[in-house]
Formats: sequence, C-alpha cells, structure tokens
Amino acid sequence: MIVSRVATSTSERLQATFTRPVRLAVGGAGSLLVVAGCLLPWATFFFGFPGKVTLAGFPGGSRLYPLLLVAVAPLLLVAVEGRRRAGLAAAWGVFGITAFNIAAIGFGRDLPLGLLEERGGGGLGAVAIGAWLALAGGALLIAAFASLPSSDEERPFRPGLPAALELLTIALSLGLILFAVVIALEVDETSRFISLIAFATAAGMTLARLNVFAYVTELFDRHRTVTLAAAAIAAVVFPFTQGGNAYWIRVFASIGVFAAAAIGLNVVVGLAGLLDLGYIAFFGVGAYVGALFAGAARTTVHVKLPFLVVVVMGAVIAAIFGVIIGAPTLRLRGDYLAIVTLGFGEIFRILAFNFDWLTRGPNGISGVPDLAIGSYNFGATNEVLGFSLPGFANYYFVELILLAAIILAFTRLNDSRIGRAWIAIREDETAAAAMGINTYRLKMLAFGIGAFMAGAAGTVNAHVTTQVSPDSYGFLESILLLAAVVLGGMGTIGGALLGSAALFIVPEKLRSFQDKRLLLFGIALIVIIRFRPEGIVANRRRKAELHDADPSTGDASGAPPGAPVVGAVAQ
Amino acid sequence: MSVSASSAPTAATPPVLEARGVTKVFGGLTAVDGVDLEVGEREIVGLIGPNGAGKTTFFNCLTGMETPTSGRISYRGRTLSGKPHRVTESGLARTFQNIRLFPNMTALENVLVGRHCRTSQGVLSALGRGPRYRREEADGRARAHELLQFVGMDRHAETLARNLPYGDQRRLEIARALATDPGLLLLDEPTAGMNPQETASAMQLVRRIREQGLAIVVIEHDMRFIFSLCDRVAVLVQGQKLVEGTATEVQQDPRVVEAYLGKPVDGG
Amino acid sequence: MQQFLQQLVNGVVLGATYGLIALGYTMVYGIIQLINFAHGEIFMVGAFAGLAMYSYVLPESMQGNPFIVLPLVILAAVIVSVTVALLVERYGYRPLRRAPRLAPLITAIGVSIFLQELVRLFYPGARSQVSFPRIIEGPNLELGGVTIARTSLFLLVVALALMVALQTFIRTSRTGKAMRATSQDADTARLMGINTDRIIVLTFALGAALAAVAGVMQGMRFVSIDFRIGFLGGVKAFTAAVLGGIGNITGAMLGGFVLGIVEAMTTQYLLGSAYKDVAAFVVLIAVLVFRPQGLLGERVAVRA
Ligand SMILES: Nc1ncnc2c1ncn2[C@@H]1O[C@H](COP(=O)(O)OP(=O)(O)OP(=O)(O)O)[C@@H](O)[C@H]1O
Ligand SMILES: [Mg+2]
Repeated sequence: MIVSRVATSTSERLQATFTRPVRLAVGGAGSLLVVAGCLLPWATFFFGFPGKVTLAGFPGGSRLYPLLLVAVAPLLLVAVEGRRRAGLAAAWGVFGITAFNIAAIGFGRDLPLGLLEERGGGGLGAVAIGAWLALAGGALLIAAFASLPSSDEERPFRPGLPAALELLTIALSLGLILFAVVIALEVDETSRFISLIAFATAAGMTLARLNVFAYVTELFDRHRTVTLAAAAIAAVVFPFTQGGNAYWIRVFASIGVFAAAAIGLNVVVGLAGLLDLGYIAFFGVGAYVGALFAGAARTTVHVKLPFLVVVVMGAVIAAIFGVIIGAPTLRLRGDYLAIVTLGFGEIFRILAFNFDWLTRGPNGISGVPDLAIGSYNFGATNEVLGFSLPGFANYYFVELILLAAIILAFTRLNDSRIGRAWIAIREDETAAAAMGINTYRLKMLAFGIGAFMAGAAGTVNAHVTTQVSPDSYGFLESILLLAAVVLGGMGTIGGALLGSAALFIVPEKLRSFQDKRLLLFGIALIVIIRFRPEGIVANRRRKAELHDADPSTGDASGAPPGAPVVGAVAQ
Repeated sequence: MSVSASSAPTAATPPVLEARGVTKVFGGLTAVDGVDLEVGEREIVGLIGPNGAGKTTFFNCLTGMETPTSGRISYRGRTLSGKPHRVTESGLARTFQNIRLFPNMTALENVLVGRHCRTSQGVLSALGRGPRYRREEADGRARAHELLQFVGMDRHAETLARNLPYGDQRRLEIARALATDPGLLLLDEPTAGMNPQETASAMQLVRRIREQGLAIVVIEHDMRFIFSLCDRVAVLVQGQKLVEGTATEVQQDPRVVEAYLGKPVDGG
Repeated sequence: MQQFLQQLVNGVVLGATYGLIALGYTMVYGIIQLINFAHGEIFMVGAFAGLAMYSYVLPESMQGNPFIVLPLVILAAVIVSVTVALLVERYGYRPLRRAPRLAPLITAIGVSIFLQELVRLFYPGARSQVSFPRIIEGPNLELGGVTIARTSLFLLVVALALMVALQTFIRTSRTGKAMRATSQDADTARLMGINTDRIIVLTFALGAALAAVAGVMQGMRFVSIDFRIGFLGGVKAFTAAVLGGIGNITGAMLGGFVLGIVEAMTTQYLLGSAYKDVAAFVVLIAVLVFRPQGLLGERVAVRA
C-alpha cells in the first residue's frame, strides 16, 4: 500500500518535471546504457556462473533478455506515446532481470532461502561494469515511461493485415511459442531459467498491454482450421526433433495426459461453475482400472483386456462414480460442493490405501506392461524416414490422440445447446432454471462428462507411468489440476494446455529449488489470483467478469448458500 | 392433471392461467394470502399493489421458484408441476424485477439459452454434429435473431449482456423469455428505471407481444402504464387480492386509493 | 459400558478442539460467506508458535512450571496466529471481496499450501513429527473406570470457558451486536455507520485466537504435532461447523462435540482406525444431503 502510494506520487512528480524532450533524452540514454551494458561483461572473473558472462562484445547468458526487452522500449517511447503501462512493464523487466542477476552473481550462494545454492558468490566485487550500466539504464527507462501521462484509454491493436499476412502471423506466433518452449527446455541453470521467466513475464505483459495478444487470439479464432492444423503438425513433429532421446517426450506425454484431465475439469469448473476439489479421484479410478486390466505384473484382477476396451471401461466406471457422487451433492450450492467433493476425494484415497485385496494398498499396482496391438509392441524403437524415435514416442502419440479427442469434445460441447446451458447455470442458476433448464440434470451431466474424461486420461496414464499408487491421487493433485485450469485460464483450451505445461516444466527446471517448489506454488496461486484472476489465457467472458464485478447487472453468483435469504429468491 | 371446468368462464376452453387460493407463508409472514387469478387468451392483466404486497412472491409461486404453502395453479387446464424448468416447459415464462440476465454471455446467447427447453439435441448429437444438429442450431439462431429484432436490439446481438444499457437489458430479458415459446408471459416491473420514451416503447412492445397471441400478466408501479395497457387490473395488498376489475373500476375504488395513500383524514 | 464411556469422554475432548476451530470457520462464513480454507493452517501455525515459545524462548529452569509455561505458550500461539490471519485477510482476501467466489477460495488454498510449506521447511525438524511438551504433568484421573488425563480435563474446561465467553461477547457487547448486524446484511450495516472492515478484521482475529488455543491443546494432548495437522483438523472443523449449521455459533460448538463423539465411536465400534477420517467425511456428506441447514441452522432455501 505504502509502496504504491510512494510510486504514484513519484510518477506524478516525474510527469510534472519531464517535458517531452527530457523524456526522450532520458529514455534514449537508458536504452543505450542497457545495450552497452548487455554487451559488456557482467562478472569480473569466471566462477562457473552460467552463460559466459565474463566475455565482452557478446550478450551471453541472461544478458540477452534485457537486450530483447530494450529493443521494443525506445520504439514505444517514440512511436506510440500513451503506452505508459506497456513501456513500464518492459522497463521493469530490464531492471528486474539485471538486479536479480547482480544478486545472483554477487551472492548466489548466500541468497535467502538458499535459492541458488550452487553458484555465485564473491560479493559485489564480482559484479562487473556491464551489469551496473544495464541496471542504471533500466532505472532511466522506468523514469522515462513513468513520466508519460497516464491514460486509461484502451487502444485495440489492429494492424489490418491482408489475409496472407494474417496466416503468416499465425504461423509465426505458433513458431514463436514452439521456439520459446524449446529454449525453455534447453536452459538448464536455475538463475538463467528465472531470468527467462522474468523475461517472459515482462515481454508477455508488454504485449498484453499493447493488446497484441487479443489480436493474435482473435486471428487464431478467425482462422481456426489453419491454427489447429499448424498446432497438430507441431505436436506430431515434436518427437522427431528429439534425436532418439525419450526424456522430453516422456515429459510431454505426461503433460498431455494431465492436460486431458484438466480439460475434463474445465467442463466442470470452467463451464458449469462447479468447484470440484476431489476431481483427481476420477483420474485415479481410471488409472486403477487401466493398470488392473492391462495385465500388470502386480495386478489383482487376472483378466487382460484390449487397450481400447480398457480406456472405455475406465472412463465409464469413472463416470459412474461421478454420477454416484454427484447425485446427492449437486443439489447443494457453491462452496459446500467444494468441501463435499474434497471429502469424496479423500475417501477415495483412504479406500485405495486400505482395500489391499484390490489395490494392494500403499504399494499400488506396478509393472504395467507395454501396450501391444497385434504383434506390434509399443515399447519398440522405430526408424521413420531416417529419424530415430524412442519407443516412448508411441505412447506420446496415443496420448496425443486422446488429447485431440478430448479437445474436440470440449470445443463442440462448449459451443452447443448443452454448453450454453452449463454457462447459464454458472452465471445464474435461478435464472437458468426459469428459462427451462433442468439444472440438476445438466450439472450431473457436467460431472459425469468431466469424470469420463478424467477416467480415460487415467487409463492412459497407467501406461505412461507404468504404475499406480494411492499417493498420486491426493488433495494436492486435485489442486494441481485445478491450478492448471485456473492459472491457465478458465473455460479455455489454450489455458488448460498452457497451465498443464507450466506446472510440469517449471518444477522440472527449478531443480535447485528442490523442496521449495511447493512453497513457490502456493505463492504463485495467491499472486496470480490477485493480479490476473482470469488466468494467463483470458476467456473474454471471464475477463469481463473478473475485472469489474458490477453489481447493477446482477450478482452472477446468486445468493450465498448460508446467508440470510430474505428476498434472495427472485425479485 | 385436472381440468376445472366448473370455474372456467367458457366450459370448452380452460383459461390460460388459473390460480386458486395461492398462499405463501414465510415463517410468521403471510406474503401471499389466498389469491385467485384467472387470465384468458390474449389478455393483459395488471398486478399492482404497494411495496411488499407480495406481487413478486406470487410470481415466484406461479413459476415454481417458491412452493406455495397451499393453493392450486393450472395452465390451460393442466396443473403445473412445482419445478421451475417444468413450469417453463409448460408455457409460462417470466422476467425478473432485478434483471437476471446471464451477464457474461452475449445477447444472442442469452436468447439461445431461452430456446433450451424447445430444443432437444443432446451430448452425442453435439459431439457428432450431424445434419439434424446443424439444422436445429441454425433454426435456433434464426429464431433468436428474429426475437432480438422483435424487441429492437438485433444490432447488439454480439454484445455481452453486462455491457448493455439498462433499458436494453430489460428488453433482452423479454426476448429471452419469449424464446421459450410461452403462452403466458409474466413481467415483473418491466419499466422500472426506464425514462418516459423507453417506457412508451416498452408499452408498444407489450402490445405487440399480445398481438402474437400471448397472454400477459404485468406487475408495475407506473399507473399510467398499467391503466392504459391492461384489460383487467388486480390489486394486491398485504398478500390479499383487494380488488379486481377494469382500469376504470379499479381507479375509482376507494379501497385502492386508501391502500396506496392511507385513510383520508377527517376534514383534511 | 466402561469402554463406551471412555470413548464418550475421548470424543468430547476431541470435539472441544474441533469446536474451537469450527468457531473460526463459522464466524468468518457468517460475516463474509467465505470458506476460509486456510483456517486449518492458522490452527497449525498456532501449535508451532506455542512450541517455539516453549523450546526456544523459555529458559529451561521455567519449563517445569505450568503456571508460567501455559499462559506464555498460549500467548505466543495467539499472537502469531492472529498476525498471520490478519495478514492473510488484508493481502489475500480483502482485495478479492468483490470477485467471484471461486477467487478467494483459490487464494485460501494457496495460503494453505504456503503456510504448510513454510512450517515444514523452516521450522527446525518439522519435516516429520515434532514432539510437544505435555506441560501439565501428573497422574491420570480415574472416574468410575474411565481414565481422563489431567491435560484433557484442563483443555475441556478452557474450551468451554472460551465458548461461553465468545457467546457472551457476541450477545451482549456493542461490537458483538455490530458483528451480528454485519452478518445479516453488510451493506445496510455499513449505512448504519458500522465500520464493516473493522468487524471483518476482528472476526478473523477472534477465530484465529481460538484456533491458536486449539492448536496448543492438540499438541498437549497428542504430545506431538506436524505440519499436516491443519489440513485434516481444518476439514473436520469445517464439518463440525456445517453440522451445527454454518454461521451459527452455538451450532459450531455442538457440531464439534457431536463430530468428536461420532469419530471416537466409529473408530472404536465400526470401522477401526484405518478409516477414522472417513467417518468425518461421511458425516459431512450425510449432513449436507439430508439437513443442509445443519442441526441448529435455520431453514435455508435450497432448490434444485
Ligand atoms: N424468501 C423470503 N423469505 C422471507 N420473506 C420473504 C421472502 N421473499 C419475500 N418475503 C417477504 O414477503 C413480502 C412480499 O414481498 P414481495 O417481494 O413479493 O413484494 P412485492 O409486492 O413484489 O414488492 P415490490 O413492489 O417492492 O417489489 C415482503 O414483506 C418480503 O419481505
Ligand atoms: Mg416485487
């Protein structure tokens, strides 16, 4: 609070004192300083800090990120005045990344919480001139942008390109996303990864504030087929780029399965507005069915069924559980449902722990064998067109088919009579009932379909992980799924995919944080809900809803269940 | 399913709405007290009364949002089931006193939701998108556009309901209710918060709805609106129906004046 | 019979803890209709703060004297819990007051995870169970074959005293009246000149203080605590609040005792300890399905 008040009064003073020429001079000087600083060394001597930061004339390591950010900053300053907020995002990005690296170079080992245990040290003496120049440049840029007059006006970003260029933009955007993922995968060092995330955040905020994302999303929407085809091609090509190495293919297969379940949860939470805190149980049901009927080494059911049959069976059994759990609880409103589903989730875990005769208790079912269709074994390595594909790629493709099916189902349901009814229920259950919607039945349907999708994903997951145990289906896992949906952006496919990917890759990359990841996860939940409640990929509906709760148009959530309800019914 | 032929004005066709002795008790408060109301084909009936008289609660009882403590309600001779969605399926549609649109859906989508109970495509058909599904979806959209045009806001079809001006929100609520193909429309204060021009056009709209063959019950505090529009007016005071009759009859009834203004003071 | 009585006593003592935590849930829910999911963690933090006072602040020479130890341990627990709860309210929930209800619920989950991890990582030895001092020593009391630990008896008395004090406060004091008014209708209360923000803060603080006491009680009774006690404790206390009728203060206490007794009895006679946590969830689900307004709650319109 105090900080923001000081910041406001400072920028007011800046706005009063900086005339346009002064602002341009300060901004220009800042940009030059950053460029020079990033080309000069950031550390005085080499001690294992990543990215060749001792070399001059070459922006190695994290030095690249401020440089990229500053490329847009002067443009914003000169060309599009009034882009204060966008410019500030970029400027703070430059400053923040540099400051973080100074801290990491100087005190890496001694940072609080032991964040960067393995590197850095030597105090500020180890920090070279380049870093200081870049830091000063960042500060000047912040001052320059802060001195711009603040205007609330929203300028849509509409370059009005010809159709061919629009398609090119789509291809470039997708390529950029892929490129970013590949870069992110290749960055190994924690300090660089943190710098990268900071860069992505700053660049993302800059672009978002320029409304570039809105434009690109709209393009994606308008050229849906092209976008989907391009994305599908990228997904299929991915394993071929891995040179026979299964590691990242495995990670992506896991992400895909997780994302499939997240999209199922999206039906329940994002569309129908039912908060389910025990959703992972349905995934668990699927996984147990998958493992038990796949002829696992430690199965207790000595029946082996064909894979497709097992997938359908797992999905159907999960859906039956969904209906059984939904039947008594879906008459409740709102938060109560959250707690009851949490209870059911815990009961599932406790039962899986104790029903030794079926689940083998805490040991779980291990040794799920490779899939085999006919004489073809899914574990085998393949050579396709001279590319070597590890055996695991087969599972990746299975998972891709599952994910595609679930995405298709979600999109079609979302844009249908059923989907509209769900959203209506989420918006105002009473009004929905008054419009002739059987709300109870539709909520059941959402629950059942969500559980069905989770069950299908679970059976596939049994093959991806080759073993199933009760510990993988606890409250935390439910929360992770929910986080993937909410942080990614509720009710959107892109959000569920992005959220799932982030929740898998980020912890993987922050290995040096080891057991502090969960702590960071908690912080991330709090911070993101606070500052971007609609998630990374905003659905235009959620965005409108979350950024101003305008009471005059009626409270979307209806009456709270336990509150005094005089007049709450329908006036 | 009971046809109450005895009380119907013409024994052959039962009235559109027939409410008998509808009573709703909240704890110690009798919000609606033995109210009878009959609505004939293409009739516009006004429901007036001071604040807290129980008008909205009466609507809630009719539409199944409150379960009446006692009383019987039938629509075209068929007793209504208590569930709101069943009532709507039967042919009653309503608007709300404090607008209850789906704020984060577009105007068009709001109206499409109203089509829900008149369409039947389920999950499998939505997934398969066969010709039947596409025909129904296209018909639904065409009808929704038609209704938006009917209430005069087709150009706002793609606007989120929350971003519409107040008057448009009220009209959208009416379009949404009409989308359920009702035989009887219940309007709860349709002109509340409107300026005189908007009120005039709302009056036109109600007349045009009647011309489409619907019967209408409308709650309003705007007396000019009620008396120039309604065929018949019922006055509710403290849950009881005090008077019912034509506009002139009601206007001249001393009890109505008293209910609204209090007893005249002697010599005053 | 003796066994039954023993379980009854155990259940009542267990229920006193649930009841104390449940009060926090019920008060906050009553005022701002938020399930403060992080409340269980406030209880856990209280237990650890009390322990920290005992192990790191009190000189060893004093550790044997319960008349010094107990007030100080409880004081530390209350101060830390209340501080944490107020920070959470101010920076977590307050900015989201107008947001849809999903938002604060997710924040609450985030806070919950954060607090658990904070304790697990930075409290010495908290990655596994940490032992908690018994504080009140001395032989158990025997009453007609039923054994009651001195600690348990003391805890029961403290819990009941606190509950009565809270009731009196809310019934009779000016502030209590303002709290009730706010819970009926916050907007109107504000128009009547009640500083609702202050009332909300006060509600959080009161709830946290009670949870802190419950945390110390839990530690003394089980002679060990770990960073996970907040999750189950929280869910069970929430169950107790719902059981009694959420928003209803007497209900929360009653719900706590009923739940404690049910848990003790089902563990003994029905399911065994492997399923002892299932009992609470089954009770919760049954209540919500068959009597969503709770034992003492007023009839709430719930329509399909
Ligand atoms: N759910 C409820 N629980 C308890 N009392 C209620 C409930 N709903 C309405 N009431 C009471 O019933 C009475 C009638 O209310 P109602 O809303 O039907 O009046 P109204 O005629 O529509 O008034 P207005 O013209 O102000 O809209 C009021 O005293 C109201 O407080
Ligand atoms: Mg009314």
